[in-house]
Amino acid sequence: MDRRNFLKYSGLASGTLALAGISSAGFVAGRNKDGNTGFGRTPYGKDQFFNRKPFLVEQPTYMKVGTPERIGYLDHLFRRNAELRYHIFSYGREGFQKVRDEGPEKLPEPLKSYYIDNPSAFEEFFRAMDRANEQKANWEKYKDRYMLAEAWSAAHASPLGAPGAFPREPRGNPEESDFSGVNEDSLKLKSPQHGSRLIKKISHLFGATLTGITKIKKEWVYQGALRGRGRGDFEVPGHWKYAIVIAIPHEWESFYANPTYGTSHDAYSMLRFISGKLETFIKKIGYSARSHIPPTSYDLILPPLGIDAGLGEQGRHGILITPELGANTRLAAVSTDMPLEPDKPVDLGIRKFCNKCKICAEECPGKAISFAGSPYKTVRGYKRWSIDQDKCYTVWNSVATSQPRGCRICLAVCPYSRKNNWIHTIAREADPRDPTGLVSSAMLSMQKNFFSYPGGKEYLPPPEGNNKTYGKPPDWLRTEEWFDI
Amino acid sequence: MFPYSTMLQPIFWMVIGLLTGVFVIGLRYWLKDLNISMNWWKWVLLSFWIVLLAVTLCGSFTLMGENEWTAGYRFLLFFGAVITISGAGLWMILRRVNP
Repeated sequence: MDRRNFLKYSGLASGTLALAGISSAGFVAGRNKDGNTGFGRTPYGKDQFFNRKPFLVEQPTYMKVGTPERIGYLDHLFRRNAELRYHIFSYGREGFQKVRDEGPEKLPEPLKSYYIDNPSAFEEFFRAMDRANEQKANWEKYKDRYMLAEAWSAAHASPLGAPGAFPREPRGNPEESDFSGVNEDSLKLKSPQHGSRLIKKISHLFGATLTGITKIKKEWVYQGALRGRGRGDFEVPGHWKYAIVIAIPHEWESFYANPTYGTSHDAYSMLRFISGKLETFIKKIGYSARSHIPPTSYDLILPPLGIDAGLGEQGRHGILITPELGANTRLAAVSTDMPLEPDKPVDLGIRKFCNKCKICAEECPGKAISFAGSPYKTVRGYKRWSIDQDKCYTVWNSVATSQPRGCRICLAVCPYSRKNNWIHTIAREADPRDPTGLVSSAMLSMQKNFFSYPGGKEYLPPPEGNNKTYGKPPDWLRTEEWFDI
Repeated sequence: MFPYSTMLQPIFWMVIGLLTGVFVIGLRYWLKDLNISMNWWKWVLLSFWIVLLAVTLCGSFTLMGENEWTAGYRFLLFFGAVITISGAGLWMILRRVNP
Protein backbone atom coordinates (compact mmCIF):
# COMPACT_ATOMS: atom_id res chain seq x y z
CA MET A 1 0.00 0.00 0.00
CA ASP A 2 1.37 3.43 -0.91
CA ARG A 3 1.51 6.37 1.48
CA ARG A 4 -1.56 8.09 0.00
CA ASN A 5 -3.83 5.04 0.39
CA PHE A 6 -2.44 4.39 3.90
CA LEU A 7 -3.49 7.91 5.05
CA LYS A 8 -6.88 7.53 3.40
CA TYR A 9 -7.77 4.23 5.08
CA SER A 10 -6.26 5.32 8.41
CA GLY A 11 -8.45 8.46 8.38
CA LEU A 12 -11.56 6.43 7.65
CA ALA A 13 -10.77 3.97 10.43
CA SER A 14 -9.95 6.78 12.91
CA GLY A 15 -13.17 8.61 12.10
CA THR A 16 -15.22 5.44 12.61
CA LEU A 17 -13.46 4.75 15.91
CA ALA A 18 -13.91 8.37 17.09
CA LEU A 19 -17.64 8.22 16.36
CA ALA A 20 -17.89 4.89 18.16
CA GLY A 21 -15.96 6.42 21.10
CA ILE A 22 -18.21 9.49 21.26
CA SER A 23 -21.30 7.27 21.02
CA SER A 24 -20.03 5.07 23.85
CA ALA A 25 -19.24 8.11 25.97
CA GLY A 26 -22.76 9.39 25.42
CA PHE A 27 -24.19 6.00 26.38
CA VAL A 28 -22.16 5.96 29.58
CA ALA A 29 -23.23 9.52 30.39
CA GLY A 30 -26.85 8.48 30.06
CA ARG A 31 -26.57 5.19 31.91
CA ASN A 32 -24.23 6.17 34.73
CA LYS A 33 -25.88 6.24 38.19
CA ASP A 34 -23.54 9.03 39.20
CA GLY A 35 -25.83 11.24 37.20
CA ASN A 36 -28.58 10.87 39.81
CA THR A 37 -27.90 13.96 41.92
CA GLY A 38 -27.75 13.10 45.61
CA PHE A 39 -27.88 9.37 44.86
CA GLY A 40 -24.60 9.02 43.03
CA ARG A 41 -21.55 6.89 43.62
CA THR A 42 -21.63 7.09 47.41
CA PRO A 43 -25.20 6.39 48.49
CA TYR A 44 -26.26 3.81 45.94
CA GLY A 45 -24.28 3.90 42.74
CA LYS A 46 -24.25 0.45 41.24
CA ASP A 47 -20.47 0.12 41.23
CA GLN A 48 -20.24 0.26 45.01
CA PHE A 49 -21.82 -3.16 45.47
CA PHE A 50 -19.74 -6.26 46.00
CA ASN A 51 -20.99 -9.35 44.19
CA ARG A 52 -21.75 -11.73 47.06
CA LYS A 53 -23.03 -14.61 44.93
CA PRO A 54 -19.76 -16.62 44.77
CA PHE A 55 -19.41 -16.40 48.55
CA LEU A 56 -22.89 -17.38 49.75
CA VAL A 57 -22.87 -20.13 52.38
CA GLU A 58 -25.56 -22.05 54.24
CA GLN A 59 -24.12 -21.42 57.72
CA PRO A 60 -22.88 -18.05 58.98
CA THR A 61 -19.18 -17.79 59.85
CA TYR A 62 -19.74 -17.31 63.57
CA MET A 63 -19.09 -20.51 65.53
CA LYS A 64 -21.87 -22.18 67.47
CA VAL A 65 -20.29 -24.19 70.30
CA GLY A 66 -23.12 -24.63 72.78
CA THR A 67 -26.75 -23.91 73.47
CA PRO A 68 -27.58 -20.38 72.33
CA GLU A 69 -29.03 -18.10 74.99
CA ARG A 70 -30.81 -14.79 74.72
CA ILE A 71 -28.85 -11.73 75.76
CA GLY A 72 -29.84 -10.06 79.02
CA TYR A 73 -30.50 -6.35 78.66
CA LEU A 74 -27.77 -5.57 81.18
CA ASP A 75 -25.23 -7.02 78.77
CA HIS A 76 -25.83 -3.84 76.79
CA LEU A 77 -23.29 -1.31 78.08
CA PHE A 78 -25.54 1.74 77.87
CA ARG A 79 -28.53 0.10 79.52
CA ARG A 80 -26.30 -1.21 82.28
CA ASN A 81 -24.64 2.15 82.82
CA ALA A 82 -27.98 3.96 82.71
CA GLU A 83 -29.39 1.66 85.35
CA LEU A 84 -26.35 2.04 87.59
CA ARG A 85 -26.44 5.82 87.19
CA TYR A 86 -30.13 5.88 88.05
CA HIS A 87 -29.36 3.94 91.22
CA ILE A 88 -26.46 6.26 92.13
CA PHE A 89 -28.56 9.40 91.64
CA SER A 90 -31.31 7.98 93.86
CA TYR A 91 -28.96 8.67 96.80
CA GLY A 92 -28.38 12.29 95.77
CA ARG A 93 -24.93 13.90 95.70
CA GLU A 94 -23.30 11.38 97.99
CA GLY A 95 -24.50 8.49 95.84
CA PHE A 96 -21.40 8.23 93.68
CA GLN A 97 -18.94 7.64 96.53
CA LYS A 98 -21.40 5.61 98.57
CA VAL A 99 -22.13 3.10 95.79
CA ARG A 100 -18.45 2.91 94.89
CA ASP A 101 -17.44 2.20 98.50
CA GLU A 102 -20.18 -0.33 99.13
CA GLY A 103 -19.34 -2.37 96.05
CA PRO A 104 -21.68 -4.51 93.96
CA GLU A 105 -23.11 -6.48 96.94
CA LYS A 106 -25.38 -3.60 97.98
CA LEU A 107 -26.80 -2.98 94.51
CA PRO A 108 -30.42 -3.87 93.71
CA GLU A 109 -31.10 -6.82 91.42
CA PRO A 110 -30.42 -7.46 88.57
CA LEU A 111 -27.44 -5.04 88.79
CA LYS A 112 -26.10 -6.88 91.83
CA SER A 113 -25.89 -10.25 90.09
CA TYR A 114 -24.41 -8.73 86.97
CA TYR A 115 -21.62 -6.87 88.76
CA ILE A 116 -20.84 -9.72 91.16
CA ASP A 117 -20.31 -11.87 88.05
CA ASN A 118 -18.33 -9.07 86.36
CA PRO A 119 -16.46 -7.21 89.14
CA SER A 120 -13.99 -5.57 86.73
CA ALA A 121 -16.94 -3.94 84.94
CA PHE A 122 -18.00 -2.31 88.23
CA GLU A 123 -14.51 -0.89 88.84
CA GLU A 124 -14.19 0.22 85.22
CA PHE A 125 -17.49 2.14 85.45
CA PHE A 126 -16.14 4.32 88.25
CA ARG A 127 -12.80 4.72 86.45
CA ALA A 128 -14.77 5.93 83.43
CA MET A 129 -16.67 8.40 85.62
CA ASP A 130 -13.36 9.73 86.99
CA ARG A 131 -12.13 10.19 83.45
CA ALA A 132 -15.43 11.88 82.56
CA ASN A 133 -14.74 14.54 85.20
CA GLU A 134 -11.26 15.11 83.76
CA GLN A 135 -12.76 15.25 80.28
CA LYS A 136 -15.21 17.93 81.36
CA ALA A 137 -12.43 19.96 82.99
CA ASN A 138 -10.16 19.57 79.94
CA TRP A 139 -12.83 20.72 77.50
CA GLU A 140 -12.12 24.37 78.32
CA LYS A 141 -8.65 23.85 76.78
CA TYR A 142 -9.95 22.18 73.62
CA LYS A 143 -13.31 23.77 72.94
CA ASP A 144 -11.98 26.31 70.42
CA ARG A 145 -9.94 23.81 68.45
CA TYR A 146 -12.82 21.37 68.20
CA MET A 147 -15.67 23.87 67.92
CA LEU A 148 -16.67 22.76 64.43
CA ALA A 149 -16.38 19.07 65.30
CA GLU A 150 -18.58 19.66 68.32
CA ALA A 151 -21.12 21.56 66.22
CA TRP A 152 -21.07 18.82 63.55
CA SER A 153 -21.78 16.17 66.16
CA ALA A 154 -24.38 18.21 68.04
CA ALA A 155 -26.24 18.93 64.81
CA HIS A 156 -26.49 15.22 64.06
CA ALA A 157 -27.47 14.45 67.65
CA SER A 158 -30.25 17.03 67.69
CA PRO A 159 -32.93 14.70 66.22
CA LEU A 160 -32.06 11.89 68.65
CA GLY A 161 -33.58 11.18 72.00
CA ALA A 162 -35.88 14.18 72.31
CA PRO A 163 -39.50 13.44 73.29
CA GLY A 164 -40.61 14.03 69.70
CA ALA A 165 -37.78 12.00 68.16
CA PHE A 166 -38.53 10.04 65.00
CA PRO A 167 -39.50 7.25 64.84
CA ARG A 168 -41.60 7.23 68.01
CA GLU A 169 -40.74 4.68 70.65
CA PRO A 170 -43.24 1.79 70.81
CA ARG A 171 -45.88 1.98 73.54
CA GLY A 172 -47.53 -1.02 75.13
CA ASN A 173 -47.26 -4.62 74.02
CA PRO A 174 -45.66 -5.34 70.63
CA GLU A 175 -48.95 -6.96 69.55
CA GLU A 176 -50.48 -3.47 69.79
CA SER A 177 -47.70 -1.04 68.98
CA ASP A 178 -46.20 -2.94 66.01
CA PHE A 179 -49.66 -3.15 64.41
CA SER A 180 -50.65 0.42 65.14
CA GLY A 181 -51.45 2.19 61.85
CA VAL A 182 -51.29 -1.00 59.76
CA ASN A 183 -53.37 -0.76 56.59
CA GLU A 184 -56.11 -3.36 56.95
CA ASP A 185 -57.24 -3.10 53.34
CA SER A 186 -53.94 -4.20 51.86
CA LEU A 187 -53.50 -6.39 48.80
CA LYS A 188 -52.07 -9.89 48.51
CA LEU A 189 -48.31 -9.89 47.95
CA LYS A 190 -47.35 -11.90 44.81
CA SER A 191 -44.55 -13.79 46.59
CA PRO A 192 -41.91 -13.41 49.34
CA GLN A 193 -39.34 -12.77 46.57
CA HIS A 194 -41.42 -9.81 45.40
CA GLY A 195 -41.58 -8.63 49.02
CA SER A 196 -37.80 -8.74 49.45
CA ARG A 197 -37.09 -7.03 46.15
CA LEU A 198 -39.59 -4.26 46.87
CA ILE A 199 -38.31 -3.65 50.40
CA LYS A 200 -34.70 -3.51 49.21
CA LYS A 201 -35.53 -1.02 46.47
CA ILE A 202 -37.50 1.17 48.87
CA SER A 203 -34.86 1.06 51.62
CA HIS A 204 -32.18 2.13 49.13
CA LEU A 205 -34.40 4.98 48.01
CA PHE A 206 -34.82 6.00 51.64
CA GLY A 207 -31.02 6.20 51.84
CA ALA A 208 -29.80 2.76 52.98
CA THR A 209 -26.44 1.81 51.49
CA LEU A 210 -26.87 -1.90 52.19
CA THR A 211 -29.98 -3.91 52.96
CA GLY A 212 -30.16 -7.56 53.93
CA ILE A 213 -33.05 -9.71 55.10
CA THR A 214 -32.99 -12.59 57.55
CA LYS A 215 -35.23 -14.65 59.80
CA ILE A 216 -35.01 -13.60 63.44
CA LYS A 217 -33.42 -16.26 65.64
CA LYS A 218 -34.65 -16.00 69.20
CA GLU A 219 -31.09 -15.77 70.56
CA TRP A 220 -30.74 -12.38 68.84
CA VAL A 221 -33.62 -10.93 70.91
CA TYR A 222 -32.84 -9.16 74.18
CA GLN A 223 -34.28 -10.64 77.35
CA GLY A 224 -35.38 -8.91 80.56
CA ALA A 225 -36.70 -5.65 79.11
CA LEU A 226 -38.92 -4.85 76.17
CA ARG A 227 -39.40 -1.39 74.73
CA GLY A 228 -42.91 -0.14 75.29
CA ARG A 229 -43.58 -2.63 78.06
CA GLY A 230 -40.63 -2.22 80.39
CA ARG A 231 -38.75 -4.70 82.55
CA GLY A 232 -39.52 -8.40 82.77
CA ASP A 233 -38.86 -11.54 80.77
CA PHE A 234 -40.90 -12.10 77.63
CA GLU A 235 -41.35 -14.63 74.84
CA VAL A 236 -40.26 -13.48 71.40
CA PRO A 237 -43.42 -12.12 69.75
CA GLY A 238 -44.69 -14.41 66.99
CA HIS A 239 -44.89 -11.58 64.46
CA TRP A 240 -41.14 -10.82 64.73
CA LYS A 241 -40.45 -13.14 61.82
CA TYR A 242 -37.97 -11.26 59.69
CA ALA A 243 -35.43 -8.51 60.25
CA ILE A 244 -34.69 -6.05 57.48
CA VAL A 245 -31.15 -5.00 58.34
CA ILE A 246 -29.97 -1.70 56.90
CA ALA A 247 -26.46 -0.30 56.93
CA ILE A 248 -24.94 3.08 56.16
CA PRO A 249 -21.46 4.52 56.72
CA HIS A 250 -20.35 7.48 58.75
CA GLU A 251 -19.32 10.45 56.67
CA TRP A 252 -15.91 9.19 55.50
CA GLU A 253 -13.64 12.24 55.99
CA SER A 254 -14.71 12.87 59.57
CA PHE A 255 -14.65 9.11 60.18
CA TYR A 256 -10.94 8.88 59.35
CA ALA A 257 -10.26 11.81 61.70
CA ASN A 258 -11.47 9.91 64.75
CA PRO A 259 -11.54 10.05 67.70
CA THR A 260 -11.88 13.81 68.17
CA TYR A 261 -13.38 14.99 64.87
CA GLY A 262 -15.72 12.07 64.19
CA THR A 263 -19.13 11.36 65.60
CA SER A 264 -21.50 8.41 65.68
CA HIS A 265 -24.52 10.66 65.52
CA ASP A 266 -24.28 11.33 61.78
CA ALA A 267 -25.00 7.70 60.94
CA TYR A 268 -27.36 7.28 63.89
CA SER A 269 -29.67 10.11 62.86
CA MET A 270 -29.76 8.92 59.24
CA LEU A 271 -30.48 5.34 60.30
CA ARG A 272 -33.37 6.51 62.43
CA PHE A 273 -34.93 8.37 59.51
CA ILE A 274 -34.42 5.46 57.11
CA SER A 275 -35.80 2.77 59.42
CA GLY A 276 -38.61 5.01 60.69
CA LYS A 277 -39.76 5.64 57.14
CA LEU A 278 -39.40 1.95 56.29
CA GLU A 279 -41.52 1.08 59.34
CA THR A 280 -44.26 3.44 58.15
CA PHE A 281 -44.03 2.11 54.58
CA ILE A 282 -44.38 -1.51 55.71
CA LYS A 283 -47.38 -0.67 57.91
CA LYS A 284 -49.02 1.17 55.01
CA ILE A 285 -48.76 -1.94 52.81
CA GLY A 286 -50.40 -4.07 55.47
CA TYR A 287 -47.78 -5.61 57.77
CA SER A 288 -46.51 -5.09 61.30
CA ALA A 289 -43.23 -3.26 61.77
CA ARG A 290 -40.92 -2.09 64.58
CA SER A 291 -37.69 -0.13 64.22
CA HIS A 292 -34.59 -1.15 66.17
CA ILE A 293 -32.44 1.92 66.06
CA PRO A 294 -29.40 3.61 67.50
CA PRO A 295 -28.25 4.87 69.87
CA THR A 296 -30.08 2.59 72.34
CA SER A 297 -33.54 1.73 71.04
CA TYR A 298 -33.05 -1.95 70.32
CA ASP A 299 -34.89 -5.16 71.15
CA LEU A 300 -32.65 -7.08 68.74
CA ILE A 301 -28.86 -7.43 68.59
CA LEU A 302 -27.98 -6.17 65.16
CA PRO A 303 -24.47 -7.41 64.20
CA PRO A 304 -25.39 -11.14 64.19
CA LEU A 305 -28.55 -10.31 62.26
CA GLY A 306 -26.36 -8.48 59.74
CA ILE A 307 -24.20 -11.60 59.47
CA ASP A 308 -27.25 -13.83 58.97
CA ALA A 309 -28.53 -11.40 56.34
CA GLY A 310 -25.31 -11.78 54.33
CA LEU A 311 -24.04 -8.25 54.82
CA GLY A 312 -20.64 -9.34 56.17
CA GLU A 313 -18.81 -10.98 59.04
CA GLN A 314 -17.81 -10.08 62.58
CA GLY A 315 -14.41 -8.45 62.99
CA ARG A 316 -11.89 -8.65 65.81
CA HIS A 317 -13.26 -5.35 67.13
CA GLY A 318 -16.70 -6.95 67.45
CA ILE A 319 -18.14 -4.77 64.70
CA LEU A 320 -19.75 -6.07 61.53
CA ILE A 321 -17.35 -5.76 58.58
CA THR A 322 -18.91 -5.51 55.12
CA PRO A 323 -16.97 -5.63 51.84
CA GLU A 324 -18.37 -2.27 50.75
CA LEU A 325 -18.01 -0.25 53.94
CA GLY A 326 -15.48 -2.21 55.96
CA ALA A 327 -15.97 -1.51 59.64
CA ASN A 328 -17.60 1.82 58.79
CA THR A 329 -20.89 -0.05 58.87
CA ARG A 330 -23.62 1.25 61.16
CA LEU A 331 -26.77 -0.76 61.54
CA ALA A 332 -30.48 -0.50 62.19
CA ALA A 333 -33.25 -3.01 61.59
CA VAL A 334 -36.98 -3.26 61.15
CA SER A 335 -38.70 -6.41 62.39
CA THR A 336 -41.82 -7.44 60.53
CA ASP A 337 -44.22 -10.27 59.68
CA MET A 338 -44.23 -9.32 56.00
CA PRO A 339 -43.52 -12.46 53.92
CA LEU A 340 -39.95 -12.03 52.71
CA GLU A 341 -37.25 -14.15 51.13
CA PRO A 342 -34.21 -14.18 53.45
CA ASP A 343 -30.69 -13.64 52.15
CA LYS A 344 -27.93 -16.16 52.74
CA PRO A 345 -24.87 -15.44 54.89
CA VAL A 346 -21.47 -14.99 53.25
CA ASP A 347 -17.95 -16.25 53.89
CA LEU A 348 -15.54 -13.63 52.59
CA GLY A 349 -12.58 -14.72 54.66
CA ILE A 350 -12.95 -11.72 56.97
CA ARG A 351 -12.76 -13.83 60.14
CA LYS A 352 -9.54 -15.45 58.90
CA PHE A 353 -8.09 -12.05 58.01
CA CYS A 354 -8.89 -10.75 61.50
CA ASN A 355 -7.04 -13.72 63.01
CA LYS A 356 -3.86 -12.34 61.43
CA CYS A 357 -4.38 -8.59 61.37
CA LYS A 358 -4.64 -7.21 64.95
CA ILE A 359 -4.20 -3.56 63.83
CA CYS A 360 -7.33 -2.53 65.73
CA ALA A 361 -6.02 -4.21 68.89
CA GLU A 362 -2.67 -2.45 68.53
CA GLU A 363 -4.30 0.94 68.01
CA CYS A 364 -7.00 0.72 70.69
CA PRO A 365 -6.13 3.36 73.33
CA GLY A 366 -7.94 1.37 76.02
CA LYS A 367 -6.54 -2.09 75.22
CA ALA A 368 -10.13 -3.25 75.00
CA ILE A 369 -9.58 -5.49 71.95
CA SER A 370 -8.10 -8.96 72.23
CA PHE A 371 -4.82 -9.99 70.57
CA ALA A 372 -5.87 -13.67 70.55
CA GLY A 373 -5.07 -15.67 67.43
CA SER A 374 -8.71 -16.58 66.79
CA PRO A 375 -12.16 -15.91 68.31
CA TYR A 376 -11.56 -17.02 71.87
CA LYS A 377 -14.54 -16.31 74.04
CA THR A 378 -17.72 -18.35 74.33
CA VAL A 379 -20.61 -15.94 74.70
CA ARG A 380 -24.13 -17.32 75.07
CA GLY A 381 -23.34 -20.42 73.03
CA TYR A 382 -21.13 -18.84 70.35
CA LYS A 383 -17.36 -18.62 70.15
CA ARG A 384 -16.62 -15.09 69.02
CA TRP A 385 -14.54 -11.98 69.22
CA SER A 386 -15.60 -9.94 72.22
CA ILE A 387 -14.26 -6.56 73.26
CA ASP A 388 -14.09 -5.24 76.81
CA GLN A 389 -16.99 -2.80 76.53
CA ASP A 390 -16.23 -1.13 79.85
CA LYS A 391 -12.60 -0.37 78.95
CA CYS A 392 -13.82 0.93 75.60
CA TYR A 393 -16.23 3.26 77.39
CA THR A 394 -13.41 4.59 79.58
CA VAL A 395 -11.69 5.75 76.38
CA TRP A 396 -14.89 7.51 75.33
CA ASN A 397 -14.60 9.43 78.60
CA SER A 398 -10.90 10.19 78.04
CA VAL A 399 -10.57 11.64 74.53
CA ALA A 400 -10.68 15.42 73.97
CA THR A 401 -14.40 15.83 73.36
CA SER A 402 -17.00 17.76 75.33
CA GLN A 403 -18.67 14.55 76.50
CA PRO A 404 -18.23 10.82 75.97
CA ARG A 405 -19.31 10.61 72.35
CA GLY A 406 -17.16 7.69 71.23
CA CYS A 407 -13.74 6.84 69.87
CA ARG A 408 -14.19 4.71 66.69
CA ILE A 409 -10.43 4.34 66.16
CA CYS A 410 -10.81 0.57 65.70
CA LEU A 411 -13.24 1.23 62.85
CA ALA A 412 -11.09 3.88 61.16
CA VAL A 413 -7.84 1.88 61.19
CA CYS A 414 -9.49 -1.36 60.00
CA PRO A 415 -7.93 -2.31 56.63
CA TYR A 416 -11.41 -3.06 55.30
CA SER A 417 -12.54 0.55 55.94
CA ARG A 418 -11.31 1.90 52.64
CA LYS A 419 -12.69 3.94 49.80
CA ASN A 420 -14.51 2.50 46.83
CA ASN A 421 -11.68 3.02 44.34
CA TRP A 422 -9.78 0.69 42.05
CA ILE A 423 -6.82 -0.06 44.29
CA HIS A 424 -8.90 -1.17 47.28
CA THR A 425 -11.41 -2.91 45.04
CA ILE A 426 -8.62 -5.14 43.70
CA ALA A 427 -7.80 -6.15 47.29
CA ARG A 428 -11.48 -6.62 48.14
CA GLU A 429 -12.11 -8.83 45.13
CA ALA A 430 -8.86 -10.82 45.17
CA ASP A 431 -8.65 -11.75 48.84
CA PRO A 432 -11.88 -13.76 49.21
CA ARG A 433 -11.07 -15.68 46.00
CA ASP A 434 -7.63 -16.78 47.18
CA PRO A 435 -7.78 -20.10 49.04
CA THR A 436 -4.06 -19.97 49.95
CA GLY A 437 -4.26 -16.83 52.10
CA LEU A 438 -1.25 -15.36 50.26
CA VAL A 439 -3.18 -12.34 49.03
CA SER A 440 -4.37 -11.44 52.53
CA SER A 441 -0.84 -11.89 53.90
CA ALA A 442 0.58 -9.65 51.17
CA MET A 443 -2.14 -7.04 51.73
CA LEU A 444 -1.60 -7.13 55.46
CA SER A 445 2.14 -6.78 55.02
CA MET A 446 1.61 -3.69 52.85
CA GLN A 447 -0.96 -2.36 55.29
CA LYS A 448 1.44 -2.65 58.22
CA ASN A 449 4.58 -1.47 56.40
CA PHE A 450 3.23 1.25 54.11
CA PHE A 451 0.57 2.86 56.28
CA SER A 452 1.46 4.77 59.42
CA TYR A 453 -0.55 4.64 62.63
CA PRO A 454 -0.15 6.98 65.59
CA GLY A 455 -0.44 4.08 68.06
CA GLY A 456 -2.62 3.38 71.13
CA LYS A 457 -2.24 6.12 73.71
CA GLU A 458 -1.36 8.84 71.16
CA TYR A 459 -5.09 9.35 70.55
CA LEU A 460 -5.57 10.48 74.16
CA PRO A 461 -4.97 14.02 75.44
CA PRO A 462 -1.69 14.95 77.18
CA PRO A 463 0.02 13.78 79.32
CA GLU A 464 -0.82 10.25 78.08
CA GLY A 465 -0.97 11.13 74.39
CA ASN A 466 -1.12 14.00 71.90
CA ASN A 467 -4.72 14.10 70.69
CA LYS A 468 -3.69 12.38 67.47
CA THR A 469 -6.27 11.37 64.89
CA TYR A 470 -5.87 8.48 62.46
CA GLY A 471 -6.47 10.57 59.32
CA LYS A 472 -6.12 14.28 58.70
CA PRO A 473 -9.32 16.13 59.60
CA PRO A 474 -11.08 17.73 56.62
CA ASP A 475 -10.92 21.51 56.32
CA TRP A 476 -14.62 21.86 57.12
CA LEU A 477 -13.98 20.44 60.60
CA ARG A 478 -10.83 22.45 61.31
CA THR A 479 -11.96 25.51 63.24
CA GLU A 480 -8.69 27.35 62.53
CA GLU A 481 -9.47 27.37 58.80
CA TRP A 482 -12.60 29.49 59.31
CA PHE A 483 -12.28 31.30 62.63
CA ASP A 484 -9.63 33.32 64.44
CA ILE A 485 -8.59 31.28 67.45
CA MET B 1 -13.96 16.26 40.06
CA PHE B 2 -11.64 15.93 37.03
CA PRO B 3 -11.37 13.49 35.38
CA TYR B 4 -14.54 11.98 36.89
CA SER B 5 -16.88 14.80 35.94
CA THR B 6 -19.87 14.27 33.68
CA MET B 7 -18.30 16.04 30.71
CA LEU B 8 -14.62 15.32 31.13
CA GLN B 9 -14.54 11.65 32.03
CA PRO B 10 -15.28 10.26 28.56
CA ILE B 11 -13.11 12.92 26.90
CA PHE B 12 -10.28 12.18 29.33
CA TRP B 13 -10.19 8.48 28.56
CA MET B 14 -10.44 9.12 24.84
CA VAL B 15 -7.41 11.39 25.05
CA ILE B 16 -5.56 8.78 27.13
CA GLY B 17 -6.33 6.19 24.47
CA LEU B 18 -5.10 8.52 21.74
CA LEU B 19 -1.90 9.22 23.62
CA THR B 20 -1.33 5.51 24.19
CA GLY B 21 -1.71 4.90 20.47
CA VAL B 22 0.74 7.64 19.58
CA PHE B 23 3.11 6.28 22.25
CA VAL B 24 3.05 2.79 20.75
CA ILE B 25 3.80 4.21 17.28
CA GLY B 26 6.70 6.21 18.69
CA LEU B 27 7.97 3.21 20.64
CA ARG B 28 8.17 1.14 17.48
CA TYR B 29 10.37 3.79 15.81
CA TRP B 30 12.56 4.03 18.93
CA LEU B 31 13.11 0.27 19.03
CA LYS B 32 13.93 0.23 15.33
CA ASP B 33 16.51 3.05 15.68
CA LEU B 34 18.11 1.19 18.62
CA ASN B 35 18.45 -1.95 16.46
CA ILE B 36 16.21 -4.00 18.79
CA SER B 37 14.28 -6.61 16.91
CA MET B 38 10.96 -7.54 18.49
CA ASN B 39 8.81 -10.66 18.41
CA TRP B 40 5.51 -11.53 20.10
CA TRP B 41 6.87 -12.56 23.53
CA LYS B 42 9.15 -9.52 23.68
CA TRP B 43 6.10 -7.32 23.07
CA VAL B 44 4.17 -9.21 25.78
CA LEU B 45 7.01 -8.70 28.28
CA LEU B 46 7.40 -5.04 27.41
CA SER B 47 3.64 -4.41 27.56
CA PHE B 48 3.43 -6.14 30.94
CA TRP B 49 6.26 -3.98 32.29
CA ILE B 50 4.62 -0.78 31.02
CA VAL B 51 1.31 -1.76 32.63
CA LEU B 52 3.18 -2.47 35.88
CA LEU B 53 4.79 0.97 35.70
CA ALA B 54 1.42 2.63 35.11
CA VAL B 55 -0.21 0.70 37.96
CA THR B 56 2.62 1.60 40.35
CA LEU B 57 2.38 5.30 39.59
CA CYS B 58 -1.41 5.23 39.65
CA GLY B 59 -1.51 3.23 42.90
CA SER B 60 0.92 5.51 44.63
CA PHE B 61 -0.97 8.65 43.65
CA THR B 62 -4.31 7.04 44.55
CA LEU B 63 -3.05 6.53 48.09
CA MET B 64 -1.69 10.07 48.21
CA GLY B 65 -5.05 11.32 47.02
CA GLU B 66 -6.65 9.53 49.95
CA ASN B 67 -4.42 11.58 52.27
CA GLU B 68 -2.33 8.47 52.95
CA TRP B 69 0.86 10.28 51.94
CA THR B 70 3.24 7.98 53.80
CA ALA B 71 1.62 4.90 52.29
CA GLY B 72 1.81 6.53 48.85
CA TYR B 73 5.54 7.28 49.15
CA ARG B 74 6.36 3.85 50.54
CA PHE B 75 4.29 2.16 47.84
CA LEU B 76 6.18 4.15 45.19
CA LEU B 77 9.53 3.39 46.81
CA PHE B 78 8.92 -0.34 47.12
CA PHE B 79 7.28 -1.01 43.77
CA GLY B 80 9.49 1.64 42.12
CA ALA B 81 12.51 -0.48 43.13
CA VAL B 82 10.80 -3.59 41.73
CA ILE B 83 10.03 -1.71 38.48
CA THR B 84 13.59 -0.37 38.17
CA ILE B 85 15.23 -3.75 38.74
CA SER B 86 12.82 -5.62 36.47
CA GLY B 87 13.19 -2.83 33.86
CA ALA B 88 16.96 -3.26 33.82
CA GLY B 89 16.54 -7.03 33.40
CA LEU B 90 14.01 -6.55 30.61
CA TRP B 91 16.30 -4.08 28.83
CA MET B 92 19.11 -6.66 28.83
CA ILE B 93 16.77 -9.32 27.44
CA LEU B 94 15.48 -7.01 24.71
CA ARG B 95 19.00 -6.05 23.62
CA ARG B 96 20.74 -9.42 23.87
CA VAL B 97 18.14 -11.89 22.67
CA ASN B 98 17.66 -11.57 18.93
CA PRO B 99 14.85 -13.64 17.47
